[in-house]
Amino acid sequence: MVKFTAEELRKIMDLKHNIRNMSVIAHVDHGKSTLTDSLVAAAGIIAQEVAGDVRMTDTRQDEAERGITIKSTGISLYYEMTDESLKNYKGERVGNEYLINLIDSPGHVDFSSEVTAALRITDGALVVVDCVEGVCVQTETVLRQALGERIRPVLTVNKMDRCFLELQVDGEEAYQTFQRVIENANVIMATYEDVLLGDVQVYPEKGTVAFSAGLHGWAFTLTNFAKMYAAKFGVDEAKMMERLWGENYFDPATKKWTTKSTGSPTCKRGFVQFCYEPIRQIISTCMNDQKDKLWPMLQKLGVTMKSDEKDLIGKALMKRVMQTWLPASSALLEMMIFHLPSPAKAQRYRVENLYEGPLDDIYANAIRNCDPEGPLMLYVSKMIPASDKGRFFAFGRVFSGKVSTGLKVRIMGPNYVPGQKKDLYVKSVQRTVIWMGKKQESVEDVPCGNTVAMVGLDQFITKNATLTNEKETDAHPIRAMKFSVSPVVRVAVQCKVASDLPKLVEGLKRLAKSDPMVVCTIEESGEHIVAGAGELHLEICLKDLQEDFMGGAEIIVSDPVVSFRETVLEKSCRTVMSKSPNKHNRLYMEARPMEEGLAEAIDDGRIGPRDDPKARSKILSEEFGWDKDLAKKIWCFGPETTGPNMVVDMCKGVQYLNEIKDSVVAGFQWASKEGAVAEENMRAICFEVCDVVLHADAIHRGGGQIIPTARRAIYAAQLTAKPRLLEPVYLVEIQAPEQALGGIYGVLNQKRGHVFEEMQRPGTPLYNIKAYLPVIESFGFSSTLRAATSGQAFPQCVFDHWDMMSSDPLEPGSQAGQLVSDIRKRKGLKEQMTPLSEFEDKL
Amino acid sequence: MDFELNYEISRTVDYLRAGNFTRVALQFPDELLKDSPRVAKALRSELGAGVRLFVMADAAYGSCCVDEIGASHVDAECVVHYGHACMSPTSTLPAMFVFGKASIDIKDCADLIGHCLSSTNKPILVLYGLEYSHALMHLKAVVAESLVLSHSNWGPMVKYSDVIGSVINPSQDCTTEKDQIRSLNGSITNAGFTSGRDEKKILKFGNGRRMENGTCFELGGLTWSIPSDHKIEDYLLFWIGPENSAFTNVVLTFNNCEIIRYDADERRLLEDTSCQRRILKRRYYLVEKAKDANIVGILVGTLGCAGYLSIIQQMKELIKGAGKKSYTLVMGRPNSAKLANFPECDVFVYVSCAQTALLDSKEFLAPIITPFEAALAFGRGRQWTGEYVLNFHDLMVSSGPEAVSGTKEARFSFIKGGYMEDIQPEENGEHEERSLALAETTEKALNLQSQHPNTIMFKGAARSGSEFFAARSYQGLNRQYENLAPQSYVIGRSGRASGYADEKMQEK
Repeated sequence: MVKFTAEELRKIMDLKHNIRNMSVIAHVDHGKSTLTDSLVAAAGIIAQEVAGDVRMTDTRQDEAERGITIKSTGISLYYEMTDESLKNYKGERVGNEYLINLIDSPGHVDFSSEVTAALRITDGALVVVDCVEGVCVQTETVLRQALGERIRPVLTVNKMDRCFLELQVDGEEAYQTFQRVIENANVIMATYEDVLLGDVQVYPEKGTVAFSAGLHGWAFTLTNFAKMYAAKFGVDEAKMMERLWGENYFDPATKKWTTKSTGSPTCKRGFVQFCYEPIRQIISTCMNDQKDKLWPMLQKLGVTMKSDEKDLIGKALMKRVMQTWLPASSALLEMMIFHLPSPAKAQRYRVENLYEGPLDDIYANAIRNCDPEGPLMLYVSKMIPASDKGRFFAFGRVFSGKVSTGLKVRIMGPNYVPGQKKDLYVKSVQRTVIWMGKKQESVEDVPCGNTVAMVGLDQFITKNATLTNEKETDAHPIRAMKFSVSPVVRVAVQCKVASDLPKLVEGLKRLAKSDPMVVCTIEESGEHIVAGAGELHLEICLKDLQEDFMGGAEIIVSDPVVSFRETVLEKSCRTVMSKSPNKHNRLYMEARPMEEGLAEAIDDGRIGPRDDPKARSKILSEEFGWDKDLAKKIWCFGPETTGPNMVVDMCKGVQYLNEIKDSVVAGFQWASKEGAVAEENMRAICFEVCDVVLHADAIHRGGGQIIPTARRAIYAAQLTAKPRLLEPVYLVEIQAPEQALGGIYGVLNQKRGHVFEEMQRPGTPLYNIKAYLPVIESFGFSSTLRAATSGQAFPQCVFDHWDMMSSDPLEPGSQAGQLVSDIRKRKGLKEQMTPLSEFEDKL
Repeated sequence: MDFELNYEISRTVDYLRAGNFTRVALQFPDELLKDSPRVAKALRSELGAGVRLFVMADAAYGSCCVDEIGASHVDAECVVHYGHACMSPTSTLPAMFVFGKASIDIKDCADLIGHCLSSTNKPILVLYGLEYSHALMHLKAVVAESLVLSHSNWGPMVKYSDVIGSVINPSQDCTTEKDQIRSLNGSITNAGFTSGRDEKKILKFGNGRRMENGTCFELGGLTWSIPSDHKIEDYLLFWIGPENSAFTNVVLTFNNCEIIRYDADERRLLEDTSCQRRILKRRYYLVEKAKDANIVGILVGTLGCAGYLSIIQQMKELIKGAGKKSYTLVMGRPNSAKLANFPECDVFVYVSCAQTALLDSKEFLAPIITPFEAALAFGRGRQWTGEYVLNFHDLMVSSGPEAVSGTKEARFSFIKGGYMEDIQPEENGEHEERSLALAETTEKALNLQSQHPNTIMFKGAARSGSEFFAARSYQGLNRQYENLAPQSYVIGRSGRASGYADEKMQEK
C-alpha cells in the first residue's frame, strides 16, 4: 500500500524549502532502526500495525539476525502537514507537502564510518537516546561528528515504554531522568559549538526534544500537549510549552501555577501533571483491560478507534491506542520539519565546510544558494551494492544543479588536484534512482538538496567522489570526509585454490567499494590485506567478501595482525656516521624522540609540509619549545611526505648541502617507512643531520651515493637511540551493572588493559568504565568479557593512541624482542635484525 | 676428478677443429678462473699455434650467459663457456658449453627416486643441473635396474629430461622466433613454435610447445616432452642439483607442480619449496607496485641473449601503450648505488637471461621486475593467474598483437587501496576536440602549481624525468647578480677520503 508515487515525490524534490535531509544517529541498541520504522510507517510503505517489528532499514540478512544495523540505509518519505500545524512555522515553504530523506545509521562503533558517510549528505540529525541508559560513548562520538559537519541535531528520548512498563518509575523521578539525559546531551553539544550553526542545544520547551517509544510506535513533543492544553487553559501555545517543562508546578486543587513545589501533595510539576500522568493512565488502563474506563478517556482526548481495534486486549491494545493518540511519525516528522533546516537553509552555512575551492567562485555560490540552475555539484558518500552482483549504486547528495539520466559528469576522485588529470574521469550517468522503502524507482532527474543513487559510475569510484558537469573544468572537489575511527585491525587473506586469485582480486575491489572504511591493500610480502576498524567490522567484511563478492570461493584468513610503529626512547648515544658506497661522502646523524604531542599535531595536520614556515615555527616554538631558527630548518616529514617523523638540518656552514637535500629526503622517506627494527613505520622520531662531508665533484655525490647512505645513517641513528616499539591502544568503554565489575576488571587485567575511569551513572545502577586496552590483546575481548560477566557488559573499542612498549626490542628474550621476531618472520625477513655495524661506518 | 675429463679438453678440441676456428674466447666464471691457465695450456698443446686462445673473465652481466661483447673485443670467432650456464641462445657467435662434472652418488640418487615413486602416485620427471648431465645415462640404467629388481611396473613412470645440446649456434635472424639448436650428434631440430601466436596456450604451458606427439618443454638447457593428454601438473618434478638460480627458475615456472630436490652434495631430499613460493608472492607484490608506476626504467641486463633488442623494443611499446614514460639504461650489473642515480624511475624492467632475471633486494630504491611481470603490469586488463615465465623468448612469442580488451573500468591499485586513473594512451586524448587544444594548453599554463614539490618526488607522481627534476629543491647553482666581487679563496681539504688531513689533526 504505497500512498504516493515516484512522480509525486519527484515534484516535491523541486521545492528546496520543503525538503529535510536527516540522519538518525545514536549509541548502539538505543532504537534507531525501530524508531525509523515507525516513521516509514507514516509514509505508508509498511502497515502501521507491524511498525516496530520489521526494521525496514535493516535490509541485510545478517543485520536482521544480529539485531544490529551494519550499513546505513536511506529512505525517502513523503509527509503532508496540515495547515493548522504549520501556522506557527516561520520559515519559507511552498505548500504543505514535505519530502524527508532519512538515513538510518548503525550505532556500533565499528561501523561509525557509515555514520560519517550518512552525516555528510544530510543537514539535520535525529539523536536517539535511551531514556534509561542515557548518553553513552557512541552518542557522544556521533554528536561530535555531526556538529563537526555542521549538522543541526534534535533529540528524542527513546524507549519511554520502559519507564511505564518495566521500571514503573513515578513522574518526578522520570522527569529527573529525562532532564539529566537532555542536560548531558546539551553539555556535549555546547562543547562543539559552532558560531555559524548557532545554538545547537536542545530544549523540550522549544520543541526540539521528543519523547518516544519506538517499539510501540508513539512519540510526542511538548508541542502536542501544549496545543491540547492551550485551548483548555486559554493561554498561548508557546506559553503553555514553557510551563510543561522545567520548574513549573501546577496544583489542580488551587488551579495555580508556581515556580516552586508548594509541598502540597496535589502540586505536581507541569510535565508530570499534564504529560506523564495522562500517558501512564492510558497505558495502565489498557494493560489492565479496563475498557469501560478507557473509551471515555479516549473520547475526551479526541481519539477514535476503529471497531475491529476495539477487540484488541493488553499490549496490542495499548500499542494501538498510543499509536492513534500520539503517532510517532507526526510528532517526530513535525519536529524535524519545524526545527531541522532545509537544504536551502543548511547549505548557506555548510558551504565553508564542504567546498575545497575558493568560497566566492560560482560553485561555492551555487552550493550556498542551493541553486538548481547552477553547475552540478554532487558528493558521492558511499557505494551501495545493487541487486545484480558486483555492481554498485553511487549514493550521494546533490548540492547544486541537477543530475539526470544520461548526463555526462566529471568524476573527481579523492586524489584529484584541480588543473591536473589525475583521478579524473568523464562518464555518463546511466540511470538516476531514488529509494522508496525497499524498492528503487528510476526518475528522470534529481535536483539539488536531495539524495540520489546513480547507476553506471561504480567502475570509477572507489568510495567517494565529487561529481560535476562535464565542462566545469575549474570546479574544486568537495572536501573528503574525515573518519573518527581508523582501520587498525588487519588480516591477510588468500584463496584456498591458487587459481581463484582473480576472483579474490575482484572481490577485494568490490569490498573496498562497499564499505567506506575498509582498506584492501597488499603487503610487501605479496599478501592481500584487509583492514577494518574492529573485529566485528572485519568479520562482516570478510563474510561479504566471501559470500557476495567472490561467489562463495573459499578463502583462508590469517589471524588478525596489528601494525606497530618504531620509535626511539632517547637521543642517540653518539653521532653516527655512514659512508657512501664510494667512501667519498659521509653523513653524520643523530636521532631523538619528538616532543610529546608533536607527532599527534602532525597527524592532525596542524603541522605539515605545506605550512607556512612562519606559522610552523610559531607553533613549534610556542608549544614545543623549539628554537625559532631550527623550526625553519625542517627538511621534510615522512613517511609519505606527511608522516610524523622529520629530518632537521643542524649543519653549520657545509658546502653543497642543498645539493644533497633531495637525496637525503628520498633516503629518509624510504627508511621511515621501513624502520630498522621490524620494518614497521617509524613514528615520532626527529633525525638531525649533524654534519656532512661531501666529495668536491658533483658526480660523486649524486643520488646513487647519497640515497642509500642516508638510509643507512638513519637506521644507525635509530638503533643508537634506544629503539622502542609503539603498539596501538584502544579506548574501551564498558557499561555494566555493579555485580559485573569484578568480571570486567579480571578480564582487563588478563588482557594487559588498565582502567582509568570508573563512574556510576547518576540515577542508575549502571557503571561506566573507561580503560585502555592494547589492540593486539583485543581479539576475542568482547566474547571473553561477555562470558565473564554473563553477558551484562558491553564494550566499545575505538583506537585511541600509540603506546610505547617498555621492553627493549633489541634484547632477544624480551616481550618486544619476541614481537619483533614474530613480525620479521611473518614478513619473511631474516629473523636476526641487521646489526648496527652494517649501517654505521668508522672513520 | 680427472682434469682433462672435467674440462672436456678433447671434445673441445674436436669442436674447434671441426669449426675451423682460429680465434677462440674461453669464458670462465669467477670460481673456475683459477683453472683457466691449465685449461688454456692443455688446449694450446692440442691445437697448436694456429689457434689463438683468449681467456675471459668477470663478465659484465651474469656469468651464465655467453659474453659476446667481450668476445668480439678480441675478434673471437667462437666462445667456449665453462661452468654453470643458462643456455640462452646467442645472437652473433657460436658457443660451446662445458658444464663441468659434479660428483654424484648415483646409487643413492636412484634409491631415492625409487623411494619417491613408492610414496606418490604421480609419474616422476627428473630434471637436473647441467653439471650433472654427465651422470644421466648411468642414472637411467641404475634406476631401471632397481625397478626391475623390485619387480615393479613403474618403469614408464620415470621420465628424464635431456640436455638440449652443448653447442649453440647464433640465431640467423634475431627477430624471428626461430632458434636453431644443433645438438651433439649433429641432427638439427628446428624448434619453431607451432602455436606461435596463440597467447593463451603459450602462457598456460609455460615454456611448453605443442607438438604432434605431445607438449614439448624447454627450460634452462633441458628439454623434455610429455604426452598431450598429460599436464605438467600431473608430474612430480625431481630436481637433482643445488638450490641455485636454475632451480628457482624451475620452481617459479612450474609453481603448480610438486617439486622435490635432491641435494647431491648432502645426499638428501628436500621437499620444502616455501622459500621459492614466497618469492612468487613477492613478485606478485612487485607487479602490483609496478602498476602504479609512471616512469619505468628499462635496464639492459644482457648484450648477448638473442632477441634482447626486440624485447626491449616490445617493452618500450608496451610501456608507451600503458601511458607511461620509459627510459632505457645500460649499466652493467645493477646495484643499489647505480639505481639510486635514477630516483625518478618508479620501477625498473630488467631484460636479461632467465637465470639472472630475478633481482630483488631491500637495498634497491625501486623494484626491479622481469619483462613477463612488466607485461602483466602494463598490459591492460591482464591478470596474473599463477603461471610464470622467466625467459623473455617465450614472452616475445606470447604477446604478439596485444589483445586490447575492452574493459573500461578504472584500475584498482592495491598499493593505494583505491581506484587509480591510468593515463590514457596518447591517441585517445589527442583526438578529441582539436579545436579546443590550444585553449586547454593555455588554460593549464596559468594554473598554479598547488601541489607541494615533495609529493611529486616521493609519491611517484611525476610523469617524466623532466617533471621530476623540476620538482627538486636543488635546481643547480644560482647566478648571483649582486655582490659580484670575487670572494676570497678558501683552502680546501687535502688528503684521502677515509680521513682528510684536517680530520686526522683533530683526532690527535
